Amino acid sequence: MLHIKNGIVIDPKNGIDAEKMDIFVKNGKIVEESEVKGDVKVIDASNKLVVAGGFDMHAHIAGSKINVGREMRPEEMRTVRLVAGKFRASIGRVLLTSPAIGYEYAKMGYTSAFEAAQPPVGALHTHEELDAIPMIDKAALPVFGNWHFVLKYVAEKNWEKLRTFIAWAIERTKGFGVKVVNPGGVEAWMYGGNCKSLDDEVPGFGVTPREIITALIQETENLNLSHSVHLHCNNLGTPGNYETTIESMKLASKFSNDRRQVLHVTHVQFNAYSGSSWRDVGSGAAEIAKYVNSVDNITIDMGQPIFGHATAMTGDAPFQFTLHKLTGARWSNKDSEIEGGAGIVPIGYLPKNPIHALQWAIGLELGLLVDSDKVVLSTDYPNGGPFTEYPYIMAMLMSRKMREKELERVSPYVQKATGLAAIDREKTLFEVIQMTRSLPARVMGLDSKGHLGFGADADIAIYNFDPLTVDVTNDFETVYKVFKTSAYTIKGGEIIAMNGELVKEVWGRTFWVDATSKVEMEAIESDLDEMFSKYYSLERQNYGVEESWIKKPERLVMG
Amino acid sequence: MLILKPKFDFEISVEAEITPALALATDEEISNYQVYYGKDKAKLSDLFEISREGDDAKLLLDGDFSKVKWIGARMDEGEIVVKGDIGDHCGAYMTGGKIVVEGNALDWIGAEMKGGEIEVNGNVRNYVGCAYWGNMTGMTGGKITVKGNAGNYIGEKMGGGEIEIMGDTGDFVGTEMKDGTIVIHGNCGFVGGDMKGGTIKIKGNFELVPGFRKVEDGFEGDVNAGGKGKVLQL
Amino acid sequence: MAEEVNIICTFCGSVCDDVQFDLEKFKGKKFCKLGSSKFSKKERIKAPMIDGKEVSYEEAIEKAAEILVNAKRPLLYGWASTVNEAIRLGVLLTEKVRGVYDQCASVCHAPGTLALIEEGVPGGSLGEIKNRADMVVFWGSNPMEAHPRHPVRYSVRAKGLLIKDRKDRKVVVVDVRKTKSANMADLFIQIKPGYDYPVLSALRAIIKGEEDAVPEEVGGVKKEQLKELAEMMKSAKYGAVLYGLGVTQSRGRDRNVENAIKLIQLLNRYTRWIIWPMRGHYNVVGAGEVPAWEAGYTYAIDFSRGYPRFSPGEFSANEILQRGDCDAALIIASDPAAHFPKVSVKHLKKIPVIQIDPFPNMTTLLSDVVIPSAVAGLEAEGTAYRMDGIPFRVKKIVDTEYWSDEKILELMLEKVNELQR
Ligand code: SF4
Ligand SMILES: [Zn+2]
Repeated sequence: MLHIKNGIVIDPKNGIDAEKMDIFVKNGKIVEESEVKGDVKVIDASNKLVVAGGFDMHAHIAGSKINVGREMRPEEMRTVRLVAGKFRASIGRVLLTSPAIGYEYAKMGYTSAFEAAQPPVGALHTHEELDAIPMIDKAALPVFGNWHFVLKYVAEKNWEKLRTFIAWAIERTKGFGVKVVNPGGVEAWMYGGNCKSLDDEVPGFGVTPREIITALIQETENLNLSHSVHLHCNNLGTPGNYETTIESMKLASKFSNDRRQVLHVTHVQFNAYSGSSWRDVGSGAAEIAKYVNSVDNITIDMGQPIFGHATAMTGDAPFQFTLHKLTGARWSNKDSEIEGGAGIVPIGYLPKNPIHALQWAIGLELGLLVDSDKVVLSTDYPNGGPFTEYPYIMAMLMSRKMREKELERVSPYVQKATGLAAIDREKTLFEVIQMTRSLPARVMGLDSKGHLGFGADADIAIYNFDPLTVDVTNDFETVYKVFKTSAYTIKGGEIIAMNGELVKEVWGRTFWVDATSKVEMEAIESDLDEMFSKYYSLERQNYGVEESWIKKPERLVMG
Repeated sequence: MLILKPKFDFEISVEAEITPALALATDEEISNYQVYYGKDKAKLSDLFEISREGDDAKLLLDGDFSKVKWIGARMDEGEIVVKGDIGDHCGAYMTGGKIVVEGNALDWIGAEMKGGEIEVNGNVRNYVGCAYWGNMTGMTGGKITVKGNAGNYIGEKMGGGEIEIMGDTGDFVGTEMKDGTIVIHGNCGFVGGDMKGGTIKIKGNFELVPGFRKVEDGFEGDVNAGGKGKVLQL
Repeated sequence: MAEEVNIICTFCGSVCDDVQFDLEKFKGKKFCKLGSSKFSKKERIKAPMIDGKEVSYEEAIEKAAEILVNAKRPLLYGWASTVNEAIRLGVLLTEKVRGVYDQCASVCHAPGTLALIEEGVPGGSLGEIKNRADMVVFWGSNPMEAHPRHPVRYSVRAKGLLIKDRKDRKVVVVDVRKTKSANMADLFIQIKPGYDYPVLSALRAIIKGEEDAVPEEVGGVKKEQLKELAEMMKSAKYGAVLYGLGVTQSRGRDRNVENAIKLIQLLNRYTRWIIWPMRGHYNVVGAGEVPAWEAGYTYAIDFSRGYPRFSPGEFSANEILQRGDCDAALIIASDPAAHFPKVSVKHLKKIPVIQIDPFPNMTTLLSDVVIPSAVAGLEAEGTAYRMDGIPFRVKKIVDTEYWSDEKILELMLEKVNELQR
């Protein structure tokens, strides 16, 4: 049991903005004072900020992609963070080993992180790696947008089967929701092509990205899954693609859900370019922000680039090939059964490079211009860079002064191609806490996360920082430093890190969503048998992950 | 000058990142200088007999150092003389000074070196002046001279400097080389794959990989890399 | 009625998962002869032994832990024929005792890993080859002998989405001799031993339109024939190069694979091609993947400084043994005494050796501590990765007194922790 005393609490979900109050913890949950009696550990949080543990809802932390990244980039693994002893050895520059991922999140006050793209046939691998990440809670989003079952049912307009298939697939992969990556485009890549516009036809199926996205939103909503469709848009990384992005967002307009958004568009920075070529490329962030702010059924995350090393790894295989051609860098690709594909290319963001600076500015524009209950802070780790630099993004969003200083060291191209320099807006600490805690939890549909109300998981971060006295707009250096390492990180009621040092190794849960009771599996049984025997190279009976193979599974039954 | 002699035959390899700068340290610092002997950290004096002659920045390694790695890595000035053989990574990342190996050297001699000089009287094994795994550029400056033969992978991804091998070498001379010079006096195997720039001069026989065009004084390529590297007969 | 159950073959990297196993007859349907031999009743190591004397599992494991803890630089080698759960414990154990982790790939397909470091690997799963590949090139690989069911299930006669018939697919074998696999090919190209690299460079130059930089004959192959092959490759819709030990273990090694990858990168500018290694042991992929997520690298990993470092020519088992650079060894699911060069074996004989294996082999004879284990896929379950990285949970279908590798290593790790305390 814990008694966190006299902290300054910011808890956006419960409308608490920098109030001095006490928090009580029992059996891993936040409870009322009356429940905590006897042997209670008191943490003096006087003059300290107390918030919910950070929640990274979109990062690539487990599975074949990041692992190939590690294998391909030994130069990334030479940074030593911790020598083996009480804890595991922890290494990595931006790409980290599994223990390092858990440790670094914990040190920063983050307590949950979700793998944003799980290749379905590789689900077991993803779960093995999630199981190797200590300290945090986790989950994985299986990828749907190019899976032949989906393309087939969309072509047949057989919504019952599509719905049933979604439930089947999430159960088999022990996944959390419906991720969609470049819908149709990755199937086109198998023929050397791509689907750059929403109306490009997918070879062999006669369907379009527009139809795939719409159908997947529709059936995800019919199943009323915990999380909405999570979309990596078509035409990623191309000048002028902001229009595709807005068009994709509009596909959600006829759907609504009072609990959450019906469409989450991810790492929007990579999909927010105006212009017609790399010569006249500019920012489409303002237009996107305008659209997102005008509706109440869409959320996004930033995909903020951090200057320095990064590794592009996405299920968007044709984009990865384009990137390889553009930069001449190493290129890994994986075409994966009849499910889609993926690619991996090392990259780096240089402040003086006009394109990189542009990307950096667009990410910030999105973070600033989009309402704080609609934009989640992310780097799309490791695509935009390390998650350990989230404090940099937080500080930048809160301080115009810091932005002005940073603008001095980047390519002047951003001055004419983006509106960043002219943005006065400074997000408040409350908003930044919202963007890193309560909002991602809401986007994922997890009521027990992202806040400090009674009944919430006791995932808590305490920072050496008094919001009542520190001026976040002027003391941006302090803000940055303070958020890098928590004074305390509490996971499930246990202190796991203090002042940047690990205290205790714990193992979080893996959430997965079970919607099978909402469908009749019979509807797709024969299709499954047929497609497996014809097009898979493995037996249907050997496909998927059983709950008992996972270290600490937590099934969320969709009622 | 600091003189080191192994105290006994090393059972397993020793990692000793020592440079001539050590000769300028106090006796105590030298004696306590940390080296690695398997999982155990050891003091320099646990493994080596240490003596001094004069106080110049010079190391004399007297005996069999073939199990000792990382000698002279990152050194920037002074001199190291190895009386016998030397282990892996000798002179890696060095920026200045001189290393003389009177015996043979193992792998990674002068890897990613930027300046200075390495001379080996005997033979060397693989990865001479190469880039470490995952890195983009091998040696960029300085000179490596080998009086004997060399193994495979010579000056891969080399970005500058000079490698001269008096004897024969194995395969992959100047693969993905960008700049600098490699001179081979003996025979060698595959030469020049994906060469982008720089010059390779060979006296003996060699196997130029496809991708080179005959030009006036030799060959130019590799066309596969859009390269303008030169392979010339010495 | 005899009981038949589905099992997943844990012999070669094909990891065929369609085998029906008759428990009474102890026989599987659909096995190739390599698979059925692995799954037949064979001589086993009877019991745990210390210096040839039978002891309990606990005693043997305790002794093993002592050896590892007392060593300055233990080598923990093998891993390719066990499951990920055991491999993971092996990596943790190596980290604890600050030893060297290495696995069988270092003597077979590791050059592919090095090529991956240089260029990445544009690949695909076996199902995609089955569904789409209208051209398959076996380069220095001999599936008919090393992966007998691979051609039928995935790569030659396999039918799928776009390939409805064997005739829809061109099969080419490139090798230094006419192998059994060459007989099933539509085209066989014989190259001079040790000349994979220049032949690949030549193909690249031809495809790039720079054929004037290619001599009339390369590696024993006429330019005309290379042009023909280049043309075939360029006009395929979806091609796959499946390479084997002929490429990785002959002159050129990692550079051969790197060159082949560069060829594939180039071909993707015209059409679709992938490249993939024909990995040997059923879980040699897992033996690289698990340490990659736990410790950042796939093989040749030294933990002597308390954190992982990677250096193939330095920390790979054979190299370490040849140099006499370890003072104890744990060998699991592998037989270096039979396959390593004499010098290496000589050093193994000098140092304390712990063996974990279901079956006796040459290494048993020189081991001080022998710990027999259950056969994964038959007597023990766990995760294994097929050659293309697709994960499978191999099954336990019969009971046994033998401990699984996982259980053995779990206790060993515990004992090591106790001793270090
Ligand atoms: S091909 Fe390999 S996996 Fe398949 S049955 Fe034969 S030995 Fe087993
Ligand atoms: Zn992502």
